[in-house]
Amino acid sequence: MLLNRKHRAALLFILPGIIMLTIFIIFPFFMSFGLSFTNQRLISKLPTKFIGFENYERLFGDKVFIQSLLNNFLFAVIVVPIQTSLALGMAMLVNKKIKGVKIFRTVYFMPTVTTMAVVAVIWSFLYNPEGLINNFFHTISFGNWTTVDFLNDPLWAFPSIMLLSIWQGAGFQMLIFLAGLQEIPYSLYEAATIDGAGSWKKFTNITLPQLKNTTSFVLISTTILALRLFDQVQIMTNGGPRNATMTVILHLYNSGFQKQKVGYASAMTVVFFLIVLGISIFQRMILKEEREA
Amino acid sequence: MRKILLLIVFACTFFTFSMATETIELWFHSGRGAERDVIQDQVKRFNEMQDLVEIKAVQLPEGSYNDQVQAAALANKLPDILDLDGPNMTNYAWGEFIIPLDKYIPEDMKTDFLPSILKQGTYSGSIYALGTFDSGLAIWGNREYLDKIGARIPTSVEDAWTMEEFMDILSKLKNVEGVVYPLDLKLNYGVGEWYTYGFSPIFQAFGADLINREDYMSADGILNSPEAVAAGKWFADLFKMGYVNPNPAGDADFIEGKSALSWVGHWAYNQYKEAFNDNLVLIPMPKLGNPDGIYKGQATGTGSWCWGITSGCANPYGAWLFLEFILRPEEIVKMTDANGAVPARLSATKLSDPYGPNGDLSLFVAQLQTIGVERPVTPAYPIITSEFMKALDDIVNGVDVKEALDYAVEQIDLDIEDNEGYPM
Repeated sequence: MLLNRKHRAALLFILPGIIMLTIFIIFPFFMSFGLSFTNQRLISKLPTKFIGFENYERLFGDKVFIQSLLNNFLFAVIVVPIQTSLALGMAMLVNKKIKGVKIFRTVYFMPTVTTMAVVAVIWSFLYNPEGLINNFFHTISFGNWTTVDFLNDPLWAFPSIMLLSIWQGAGFQMLIFLAGLQEIPYSLYEAATIDGAGSWKKFTNITLPQLKNTTSFVLISTTILALRLFDQVQIMTNGGPRNATMTVILHLYNSGFQKQKVGYASAMTVVFFLIVLGISIFQRMILKEEREA
Repeated sequence: MRKILLLIVFACTFFTFSMATETIELWFHSGRGAERDVIQDQVKRFNEMQDLVEIKAVQLPEGSYNDQVQAAALANKLPDILDLDGPNMTNYAWGEFIIPLDKYIPEDMKTDFLPSILKQGTYSGSIYALGTFDSGLAIWGNREYLDKIGARIPTSVEDAWTMEEFMDILSKLKNVEGVVYPLDLKLNYGVGEWYTYGFSPIFQAFGADLINREDYMSADGILNSPEAVAAGKWFADLFKMGYVNPNPAGDADFIEGKSALSWVGHWAYNQYKEAFNDNLVLIPMPKLGNPDGIYKGQATGTGSWCWGITSGCANPYGAWLFLEFILRPEEIVKMTDANGAVPARLSATKLSDPYGPNGDLSLFVAQLQTIGVERPVTPAYPIITSEFMKALDDIVNGVDVKEALDYAVEQIDLDIEDNEGYPM
């Protein structure tokens, strides 16, 4: 009886979540799965037709899709480790018991609470040939710096987007690491100090192992966020120049909304979902979470 | 408790009575400030002057306006009245999301419209959309700079600069003190409809086009013809030679004197006039191409935002009342005074100062009547413009011209094939 009531309460609590997930995630996913086998167009008077695997066949011959997949992977491979280490470093800094540390915490966290759209517009000005960054390098090099059009140069555009993304996202990861750091019992460090361990030893033998769960959470969520890259590129480069910053989600959005190919865009979501799912499962297997019994 | 209940009942009754005037929802793109203010003022005045219908206007950001309207169309959530960018009209008409307006338009009103407005609004023999204004695309010049290099300032469509003259002027302007990039192409607008509107006339002047307009079935041999490749190469060279800034920091290069010429639409007029006054000259589109080509070597863009009534509208007559109101000559002029556009009706042109016979902007009307080329009137337009702007962006960024255009043609033809040629 007691157990039953407990169950009922639990059910009641997860119900809103389940309803939301069903309406906004699960149901649309099954719809896209269905649409991916049709020729559905955004606006059309032609009837929707079943066309089998044609969208999928086309997808694997789409050089823009392949390029955007590669871009997404490149982004994840570069951004995830840098952003995670940076966040950990910042978290350790603001975890120190110094006066005014709360101000630093707020400052580091500020980019994260700023809307990405705003951040992207401001950084476009910074990256402009006549913008602050070019002018800064120009001044400190006594005029020897050749102006770089960061966002219009196929070589620079993607690294520029990466830098901004790391700057914007690291604050959030820092907060999670900070919570993890504060969970570590201080007695462990005290014991280590008595045993004569230096700060590097303490970091590798206490901090890192104690943060294992936190790190795996941060790694997985950063990877998923990296694969979902959209706002910055849509606003700053629209995938250009020459598809150097094209990402899967942007290509998907353009195909669905600009070119009206809903069926094709749906096929893309299905393939991309499977890829992201695969990566997440793989990561979870490697970074197995330790749960206290 | 009972008191509150009573109050609610009372409020509901009152609400039901006041619902006797029908609400008509209207969506419009939030364009430039002055344009927005005029529409809001018109809605307000229309609501006050009659009590049959109540217009509820919702403005959506211009950048994603079309995306939002398309998504709403798919979800059956369209409002009653829609503001549409001209060339997108066909796609909505084909999908039967907007209705023909012919039965509401009196004959004398119809003959009063500029031909380009009717052309843009007509699909398969019916008028689906009407605009209060048309657009003008030409080159604004800084007289001070042009005088410095002794450039001839053309005054009519016929004596426009030839290709040789234009290139000569650009190269001379490049060396004038103060000028950084002689020509401002407004690339700060971003890769969007501006690319197709502003730069497809270059391709047409060279003797190419966006699609074969005989049957709208293919772009092959048209958008990737030798003429098109030549146009693309010329466009790319403007950047290579340092005549155009590929990444302007803002909208003000011309006003700040960093550019001597500004290739842009009518909408820059009020802002430029304020900055330069008598130093501002309007220059017709240059003769870039072969006078024997399809468009005789010279072309300008036409078309602009226009209004349509959706098929889901329960009271199309009520909706028309509002359109009829904003299409009155005196209302049209209120709008065109605010945004500098070409009044859509001849009777309105007469009421307008800048568009009068000797007005600053009468050249736009002359251009529309002689060298205006409307963007392709076909449901395939969304893919055409999307691929064309992408190709141009690639060309600016150094992709081989032929390769970029071939890819666009391939995508356009594939889309037309996928949609079975967009049968009527």
